[in-house]
Amino acid sequence: MSMNVPSVFLIVVIGLLGVGLYALLTVRNLIKVVVALQILVKGAMLAFVLVGRLTGQVNLGQSLALTVIVADTIVAVVGLTLAVQVRRKFGSLDIKDLTTLKR
Amino acid sequence: MDPMNAVIWLIATPLLSVPVVYLAGRLVARKAGDSSTINPARWVALAAMLVTGVFLFVAGQSVATTSNPIGMTVETITLRFDGISLVLAFSVWLLGTLVILFSGPYMKAEVGEEKFYSLLMAMIGTMIGLGTAVDLFNLWVWFEAMAISSYMLVAFYREEPASLEAGVKYLVQSAVGSVLILMGIVVVFMYTGTLNPDVFRMYLMPWPGLIGAGALFIIGFGVKTALVPLHTWLPDAHSQAPSGISAMLSGVVIETGLIAMLRSLGALSEVYNWGIILVIFAAVNMLVGNLMALRQKQVKRLLAYSSVAHMGYMLFGLGVALSFGQSNGAAGGFFHLFNHAMMKGLAFLGVGALLYALHLARGDHSPLMVEDLNGAARKYPWVVLTLSIGLLALGGLPPLAGFMSKWQILVAGAQTQNVWMIVLVVFMGLNSVLSLGYYAPLVNRMYRTQPSDIVMEGKPVSWLMTLPLILLAFGTVVLGFYPALLNWLTKPAALALFQTFGR
Repeated sequence: MSMNVPSVFLIVVIGLLGVGLYALLTVRNLIKVVVALQILVKGAMLAFVLVGRLTGQVNLGQSLALTVIVADTIVAVVGLTLAVQVRRKFGSLDIKDLTTLKR
Repeated sequence: MDPMNAVIWLIATPLLSVPVVYLAGRLVARKAGDSSTINPARWVALAAMLVTGVFLFVAGQSVATTSNPIGMTVETITLRFDGISLVLAFSVWLLGTLVILFSGPYMKAEVGEEKFYSLLMAMIGTMIGLGTAVDLFNLWVWFEAMAISSYMLVAFYREEPASLEAGVKYLVQSAVGSVLILMGIVVVFMYTGTLNPDVFRMYLMPWPGLIGAGALFIIGFGVKTALVPLHTWLPDAHSQAPSGISAMLSGVVIETGLIAMLRSLGALSEVYNWGIILVIFAAVNMLVGNLMALRQKQVKRLLAYSSVAHMGYMLFGLGVALSFGQSNGAAGGFFHLFNHAMMKGLAFLGVGALLYALHLARGDHSPLMVEDLNGAARKYPWVVLTLSIGLLALGGLPPLAGFMSKWQILVAGAQTQNVWMIVLVVFMGLNSVLSLGYYAPLVNRMYRTQPSDIVMEGKPVSWLMTLPLILLAFGTVVLGFYPALLNWLTKPAALALFQTFGR
């Protein structure tokens, strides 16, 4: 049995989105939350490349994915910066400990 | 000047000023080394805003007089400055300028003041840019750039645990929203092979995949717009950010999310009647926002929840406009958007001035509680007067600006002659009365109780902080008496909304 390239891509996209979403809902460590977000975005990025190929616009799809990489890296950097600062101030990276505003 | 160039410079000036503001502030702060020197970052930022204002005037005059959008292509990117962009740019510019003025004394004691102003300029520039995006992906890029600058501003007090917590919550929720938007864009891209709505809008059919894409847009942008089940980041972020940023977040950032949502749904206008969805969210937003605001003890959280309710009023006007073709509703919705920027900006800056005088000036980062306002009028007559005008206008008391825009929305709802819409009009009226249940006691507390100890020990408020308050209060009163003054702004915006939806 042989699979064509797009369907392999599609499975990977769905897999990445599923893993990212599952991780986002279950993990409690702030750094892991940032990683989970990254996995989700990687899924979306791959989807752009895949759709670019399917619609015959490989260049467009890839350039969109590249733009997403740039924007998303900055989000990851800001997220990790906050994580460092949270560790300093709360002494823990567990998001369950972030309760100063809970009421 | 050519309006096309004016639009490009309108976006470019704030963005180009970002490094200049930072460097000017950084170099002087490093050389001086003590806190007595005035950091020039704020003056550079203010100068950049004034230059931006000139370009805004040229571009705005062209759009307001001809009602024609200014379209242009830079390399492969298409930008279009239409009525909606004008409302957004004008609100952002007005509030941004006043927030920079206000923040001068407010942020004076903070470390890294220059970072504050350069991030603020970045946020202003990206918001003005977002209004002009046509292409769906381009819209996402502006949206993400705006979001990134606002994450850092929300967590600006980086030594405060509460601010960090608010920042983390805001970042995680917004980032998930932005992935959903991306997936929506992927779906549209797959169906149409292009991202420019002008090309594909007319030949779309109600394919289920595209309805799914619209749902992804509503959820994704809905996080930033604070549609009700997705609003949980808002009270934390608005209450923990520096007050100037709270004013920007509440006054223009969530509205920018709304405009981004309208633009993306406009691309899918042939797929589904999205107006009805907006109306449903409007009803939920009004009720939940008002009920949650009623039970808040912290003033800034109270105002934050009231933003959720006001978002509901705007959504109602725009939703009525989209599903029943009432251009009145669209004009009312955009009128309320602008008024909300002024009124909520005024309320947050007024509360910020009191927070500064009572807590921050003494190095105390605890929140301003409702009880702290007791008898504040004796000591801070101007701040309290303007704050009261802002609060009562938010509550919709005639003849202030908030009443006029709510009235226009209610009239548009009633004119649809639809039973459900009329039920919702009554519901919105009742909600507006309900909201007085938390605005009026605040005013009462400030004027009619004995000053608390904390007020008596309060520090003075500088005139630079009072000036923006007086200007905003003046605008709120004048627009209440002469709402037609803003027709040049709201009419083209209503027209542009229908153009966005291809009608």
